Amino acid sequence: MIRQRIGLALYNLAVWALVLAIAFPLFWMLSTALKPNQETFALPPTLLPVHPTLEQFARLLRETPFVTYFLNSVLVGLGTTAVVIMVAVLGAYGLVRFRFPGRELIAHLVLFTYLLPAVLLLLPLYVIMSRLGLANSLAGLVIAYTTFALPFALWLLRSFIASIPIDLEESAMVDGASRMRAFLEVVLPQALPGVISTALFTFILSWNEYLYALVFINVDSSKTLPPGVLTMLNQNQNVEWALLMAASVLMSVPVLVVFAFLQSHLTRGFGAGAVKG
Amino acid sequence: MASVTLDALRKRFPDGTLALDDLSLEIADREFVTLLGPSGCGKTTTLRMIAGLDTPSGGRIMFDARRVDQLTPAARNVAMVFQSYALYPHMTVRRNLEYPLRKRRVAPAERAPRVAETAALLKIENLLDRLPRQLSGGQQQRVALGRAMVRDCDVFLLDEPLSNLDAELRAHMRTELVQLYRRIGHTMIYVTHDQAEAMTMSTRMVVLRGGKLQQVGTPDEVYHAPANRFVAGFVGSPTMNFVAGVLTEAAGALRFCSSSLGFVVPDMRRAELAAARSRDVLAGVRPEDLRLEPGDGPGRVLVVERLGHETIVWVGIGDERLCCRAPAQAPLAPDQPVRLTADAGRVHLFDTDGARRLIGRC
Repeated sequence: MIRQRIGLALYNLAVWALVLAIAFPLFWMLSTALKPNQETFALPPTLLPVHPTLEQFARLLRETPFVTYFLNSVLVGLGTTAVVIMVAVLGAYGLVRFRFPGRELIAHLVLFTYLLPAVLLLLPLYVIMSRLGLANSLAGLVIAYTTFALPFALWLLRSFIASIPIDLEESAMVDGASRMRAFLEVVLPQALPGVISTALFTFILSWNEYLYALVFINVDSSKTLPPGVLTMLNQNQNVEWALLMAASVLMSVPVLVVFAFLQSHLTRGFGAGAVKG
Repeated sequence: MASVTLDALRKRFPDGTLALDDLSLEIADREFVTLLGPSGCGKTTTLRMIAGLDTPSGGRIMFDARRVDQLTPAARNVAMVFQSYALYPHMTVRRNLEYPLRKRRVAPAERAPRVAETAALLKIENLLDRLPRQLSGGQQQRVALGRAMVRDCDVFLLDEPLSNLDAELRAHMRTELVQLYRRIGHTMIYVTHDQAEAMTMSTRMVVLRGGKLQQVGTPDEVYHAPANRFVAGFVGSPTMNFVAGVLTEAAGALRFCSSSLGFVVPDMRRAELAAARSRDVLAGVRPEDLRLEPGDGPGRVLVVERLGHETIVWVGIGDERLCCRAPAQAPLAPDQPVRLTADAGRVHLFDTDGARRLIGRC
């Protein structure tokens, strides 16, 4: 009994240590963002801001192109998500429901492309985008992100759609719906948790992506948040840590909000993909 | 409503399996036809081809004079009840019932009364605002039927709709379906592997095996004059007894002899036996056509199953194990010696391979 309690206490201790290790940088980010400049490097450091202020946020929005970067990131994130969902949902449906030669081969090749490191495709993709005149454009980034979000999205949705009984759409077709209507009105609502989790995955992937955004975009007006914020802070020789923390907080907010609302769908989605695939 | 003609219908799946082999069939307008057979006999494949969910590899499907086998399911104007019911999980019962009407562009003002009328007929008025997952199996089954009935279709298709229900509910729904058929008078094609459903519900039965048509006829014809050993064994419960034996002629009488049964073939049936290729035959005797007499005899009672209204008795004679029906209170016990006599006028004789019936009951 005592041994069991000690075991449980140690287990709790380990879990809380892990939670603290993960949560502390986030806490420190928020705390620093709310501190005035002179308090950022105060010794000894203050855990909580003594004089909390929104000054850094105001400066960020007023004096830097943060809003432009933010809007670019939103555009790229939503654009990539829309393209990936549209292609992946229809592609996954095709791979599950239609019988054609090479069906399994296509599915596996798609997965194979996901296994290639993203950095390997960086230069070839950049050359392609340049030749297409899409370098320095948000559209080019959307296409690039689509190439590495799509394989995973396709596989996740494939197992999702495979778990939906075919009787449902056949019944809709007998009831008078075309295949597309049956898909939109009957299959898609059943696959919604999968679609939501795929959309979340894609949005977060494009929101946080740094390398492609750095290489593809060289003009300030088209930069997304990750490279944008970094260049913004490197412009002056001394890094403005408080400003950087404020930018980080604002960058994290959309992801946190979306996550908080759709968290249950995300876990359901990944669960279904893992078990039913 | 429409008549249905299947003309040399074939289906070969991409893996090479021949699911249906040259099935030709005429189903009259407003007829209730059952496709009966064991798993893999091609009955569901046939139904799916009629619905347009599978494409035939050959042959034609006609609704009246209209060829439909190249049309989409939507263009055929059929209604179908699936084995799984296939109710749309995210729609309420009302929206499930409305769905076919919306797809057929029925005016919104006309939909509500049609849904209400169908719901009243199936006694599901109080379920209209529930989701399918909030319904019991029987209620889901009614909604599935309702969704098929709510619009005027040419042909009503049912794919084992009762197989997911428990025995009591199944018996109840069987009678309801028959009443429903009488009331709405659609052409109905019903797929089942349950011979009791086929016998009790349909006006005609189509027996299939391995993709081949075995027999078409009224339940009476199929039960009393089975075309071959398979049909004889598949239809009827308990199943028909089969005994291999030889026909011998002595003193002007034709006699069937085997280690377990013997009888004289009635004179009026002898002419039909001219088609017999050999003297070796297979006798088929239904359990109700075997008479069981307690007392000194070669048979021994193996098992007595008392069902209340009757008793099923399994008797061992030599290497054979025969089943017969006896009255409810028959004074029988295991190991009791008995004598079995077949009603010669009701015995069926088949070729030894069972492919053809030589004579049936008088």
